[in-house]
Amino acid sequence: MDSTRRKFLATVATTIAAPVLGEASAAEGTADTQDTPRWVMVIDLRKCIGCQACTVACSTENRVPAGQFRTLVSHYEVEKDHQPRSAMLPRLCNHCENPPCIPVCPVQATYQRPDGIVVVDNTRCVGCAYCVQACPYDARFINHETKTADKCTFCVHRVQAGLLPACVETCVGGARIFGNIKDPRSEVSRLINSVHTDGLQPGLKTRPQVYYIGLDNRLQNKIEGVPSPWKRSETLVQESMS
Amino acid sequence: MTTSRRNFLKGAAAAGGLTAFGFGYSHTAEQLLRGAWAGDQPDHPISGKAPSPEFTVDPETGVLTPNPNQAMAYTMCMGCTTICGVRVRIDKVRNKILRVTGNPYHLLSTDQHIPYATPVKQSFVSLSRFQEQGLAGRSTACARGNAVLSKLTDPNRVTVPLKRIGARGEGKWAPISPEQLLREVVEGGDLFGEGHVDGLRAIRDLKTPIDPANPEFGPRANQLAVIPPFKDGRLVFAARFAKQSFGTVNFTGHRSYCGLSMRSGYAALLGDWKKQPHLKPDFINSEFLLFIGTAPGNAGNPFKRQGQQIAKARSTGKLKYVVVDPVLTNSDSMAADERSRWLPIKPNTDGALVMGMMRWILENRRYDEQFLRQPNAAAAAAAGEVSWSNASHLVVTQEGHPKNGRFLRASDLQLFDGDPKESPLVVIDQASGEVVSQAAVGPAELFYQGEVVLPDGEKLQVKSSLSLLQAEAEKHSLEEYSAACGIPVSTIVELAREFTAHGKKAAADCHGGTMGSNGFYTAYAIVMLNALVGNLNAKGGTSAGGGRFKEIAPGPRYNLKKFPGMVKAKGVGLGRQGFPYEKSSEYQRKVAAGKNPYPSKAPWYPLSPAMSSEFLTAAINGYPYSLKALILWSSNPLYGVAGLQQQVKVKMADPKSLPLIVSVDPFINESNTYADYIVPDSVLYESWGWASAWGGNLTKVSTARWPVIEPAQVKDNQGIPVGMEWFFIEVAKRMGLPGFGENAIADQEGNLHPLNRPEEFYLRAAANVAFDGGAVADADDEELQLTGVDRLANDLQSILKPDEWRKAAYVYARGGRFEDAEMGYKGNALARQYKSPLQIYDEKLGTTRNTLSGARYHGTPTWIRPSLADGSLLESSFPAADWPYKVVSTKSPYVSSHTTGIQKLQQFHPSNAIAMHYSDAEKLGVRSGDSIRITTPGGIVKGQALVRNGIQPGVLGIEHGFGHRELGARQHQIGDRFTTPSRLAGLGVNINDLGFADPQREGASVLADWVVGSVARQGLPARVEKA
Repeated sequence: MDSTRRKFLATVATTIAAPVLGEASAAEGTADTQDTPRWVMVIDLRKCIGCQACTVACSTENRVPAGQFRTLVSHYEVEKDHQPRSAMLPRLCNHCENPPCIPVCPVQATYQRPDGIVVVDNTRCVGCAYCVQACPYDARFINHETKTADKCTFCVHRVQAGLLPACVETCVGGARIFGNIKDPRSEVSRLINSVHTDGLQPGLKTRPQVYYIGLDNRLQNKIEGVPSPWKRSETLVQESMS
Repeated sequence: MTTSRRNFLKGAAAAGGLTAFGFGYSHTAEQLLRGAWAGDQPDHPISGKAPSPEFTVDPETGVLTPNPNQAMAYTMCMGCTTICGVRVRIDKVRNKILRVTGNPYHLLSTDQHIPYATPVKQSFVSLSRFQEQGLAGRSTACARGNAVLSKLTDPNRVTVPLKRIGARGEGKWAPISPEQLLREVVEGGDLFGEGHVDGLRAIRDLKTPIDPANPEFGPRANQLAVIPPFKDGRLVFAARFAKQSFGTVNFTGHRSYCGLSMRSGYAALLGDWKKQPHLKPDFINSEFLLFIGTAPGNAGNPFKRQGQQIAKARSTGKLKYVVVDPVLTNSDSMAADERSRWLPIKPNTDGALVMGMMRWILENRRYDEQFLRQPNAAAAAAAGEVSWSNASHLVVTQEGHPKNGRFLRASDLQLFDGDPKESPLVVIDQASGEVVSQAAVGPAELFYQGEVVLPDGEKLQVKSSLSLLQAEAEKHSLEEYSAACGIPVSTIVELAREFTAHGKKAAADCHGGTMGSNGFYTAYAIVMLNALVGNLNAKGGTSAGGGRFKEIAPGPRYNLKKFPGMVKAKGVGLGRQGFPYEKSSEYQRKVAAGKNPYPSKAPWYPLSPAMSSEFLTAAINGYPYSLKALILWSSNPLYGVAGLQQQVKVKMADPKSLPLIVSVDPFINESNTYADYIVPDSVLYESWGWASAWGGNLTKVSTARWPVIEPAQVKDNQGIPVGMEWFFIEVAKRMGLPGFGENAIADQEGNLHPLNRPEEFYLRAAANVAFDGGAVADADDEELQLTGVDRLANDLQSILKPDEWRKAAYVYARGGRFEDAEMGYKGNALARQYKSPLQIYDEKLGTTRNTLSGARYHGTPTWIRPSLADGSLLESSFPAADWPYKVVSTKSPYVSSHTTGIQKLQQFHPSNAIAMHYSDAEKLGVRSGDSIRITTPGGIVKGQALVRNGIQPGVLGIEHGFGHRELGARQHQIGDRFTTPSRLAGLGVNINDLGFADPQREGASVLADWVVGSVARQGLPARVEKA
């Protein structure tokens, strides 16, 4: 047992009733300078064809267990002007400016890097799933294999290597655009400054850093649509877990 | 929790996180008290199990540092029939593939593909964050392309030759040596203790006719049929064996059960029934696109390219588009707002919609008059047109006259004194009103109808092609067309107006949605819209494709098409295709006996080049003749042909009916489960090939496929992996057939080279590519290492000539050879142009007869209802009163015949459902998730209902690709080992279980288009009930 876990044990007895509101971890350097980028994603929904290339690329790149997703494209049939329409909504961690998942972590395993990427240190995480509960976007889960909290990292290992996240690399319609919002010449800045964008569930004041172009208000908060045409079966997940 | 959250979480976070949370805090505490790390411990605290990146690019300088343990190979995807160029990330240490994305040199994967001369290192940088190059320059793989690599390690993969040890189809196999396999298949004998079986040696008889009474059937060698998959880059190799070496005519791909109706519609329009060229819109420069029976981004080919282009065109481009389809798909996008529109329609009635549009366009003179009036290429060029048509050409319409249905020739009027076969046609000159040779004038009359006097004084009724089209369009009122298709008159007019409001920057396309029993005329009508706006070869119009380099061809370095001793296969094919019934002995005998020669015993398809869907029923019916051996190579007609399984499964299991079945396939599917032998084959990135884009390319594309990792199959005693090429090479060598072994390939100087292993064929094709139209540069060692082509270095050097090998390596290092994107246009036209005239009237069609009824086909598009083989109405045998629903086959962007049972896809799309409209569900008391039963004249399936608004009422939509009985769904015994069946592989229903026999045909048959024989999978009459 590593020392973090052992230390956490001491607090268990006294905090059963209420989760610990921990502080954001300072595990990695906190120096946020002018040069530090702020990574964000713009998703142009007009360009999303719902092909799920991102879903599979993420799953492959990050070796996510079957039936669990760091990103997924929800596909809905939505009524608009009395016509059924096909609506796509790619989902992932919003890497919020005000991430509600971080304060609830009792062991400070999850924290926000200076570049804005919200990560989980799997050597500290105890798998309590408070962060899973706290995320209003359902972007987190307990990884079946590691038994720790898991989520999108913006493929931080690739970004640090000067590459792009796997989902962005393989986005067939070119809907996913990744970049540094602090750089005014970046494509994400250009889009955010020139086209109307929206975040999911703005009322929650989480300040999500995934900016959608063409987000209909039927998708922004409570979904007003049929989560078809393609129905996912729960049985598959159970099978992959067993 | 909101619906959205529930959907996102379903089975994902819920199964892990929330279930854990359900135990409360005590569960967490318990885990902690156990003391150990509860799960697997990944390598990295933050990035978990993600492997280290393939290379690093300094975001400031763009300097690339490779990862020495990985290579990035450019090769070809096989996740569907689009066969895109991809980059395959290889763990060199473990001979494993880590991930697959797109090849930035390749236009099927990239919006603007990088110039071919770009160094490989630079191509990697173009995908990175450096200067944000990887955003605009991204090169993608779709979900299938990302997922299909798991097929390499599929636990049900066959890697050693198998021989059946039980009855056919019983699922009991013995592993045998490659040498035993060859001996038994070639020499035959009492192979199964069931009596003597002829081997391939005995079957290959190029002299003795199959049937002396019907000599046109050809020699007995035709009693071997080879059914390959599609033009996957290896087809030409198999054809070399089957047609040119063994000498059977019965070698043909899957077109007749894929998209033959569409291909035939375009064949009529483009006047080439043999090659069946087809058109694709120039998406990016188009302003209005009409997709009927095809849905970009959902299905069709090129799947990914069309998805990428439609996404771009509807957001930052100028495009508006309408998808006409009984079912709403992901082709539509609410975010694109009014740029995208779904128009529901009754199945198999697209022809009515389009003929209505054409009626309005012709009546309101909204067609491109300047284009249509040009009677020849020179006149068109003079008028600034980039293509031309036969709209003004005169057709003989004199009933009973031998020339009826034929174009009037200039030679008929003594306006041409050369060989009458070469004669130009005839038009009415617009300026003079005179009857003149089409070759000699400028603009001509479009709607001429009247008499022409021949030199001998005989008067002939004639009409121009466009008049004939107009007459067909005017057969029905707009109201009648509207009633047939369920689309209001106002919408028909609106569509016609919009289609004709963009000059040449509008186009119409179709595909598999036209695969109904009236598919041919439906498709011909849809594609005819392009002629009315004259968009062929125009920027923003339509393209017949950009072509390819000469690979497996008589190329600049080697002739890979012809070889010493090559055979020309002869005779009528099993599908009675491409041969006029009127020249058959059967016809002549009936005429000689004073009988009506019609009907023939089964329909003949003189217009169609390929009819593999008829092979098995023909062989079983013994008409035109039976088969002695069948080789199935990576094809699965019993799953893919609507209704076929029911029709043939008993006879397929009976060795007396079909004595020898050999399959070359890495997997056991619904067809080769009846095989006597299975020859394992390479999978995906282990295999060789040379392919091109099937369409949608404005520039030349030649895609290289090469083994980027070591193949998993067993090797023969020479160390060569067993596979398709191995099998045909070894069989040919054992039988002493031409084209294989020593002295099989000629170079440009006439020297002969051996063909003993696949490398000797495909690497020479690479040399051809490298030298075609100017040689490429030499690859250096670094490029070979970065791309893993260093694996091929020894073979490249030993097989190719010293001046060839580094150029071939340069081609492999880039995954093929590609023309630069800027070569696509020349001013306002496409650079690569289709030169023949568009056929408003198709003479070959208009002079061909249905061989059951004897009736002549219409030479222009017309509205035809769903039909039986003799042209009678489908409705007359299966009235709506008894069969109130229509079943349609829909597509998924995730599922193809290559991706069955892949967990990475099925984790979000495990199965299919039966879609039905709310109004129908309400009548039946059905809710989403309920079990329902569909009955058609051919079968019954039971599946889950999916109740939607996005479907035409009265329609049941079933997504193709599920309901497998094999491909992992069933247990097989191999030696003393039992395979582990996968429940995933068998989920859902197979729409093709609902296909049925044509009641107008004798013996085994499947419902097909009455003109070209394309298999009907759309609009099957059905009943539905709660199960």
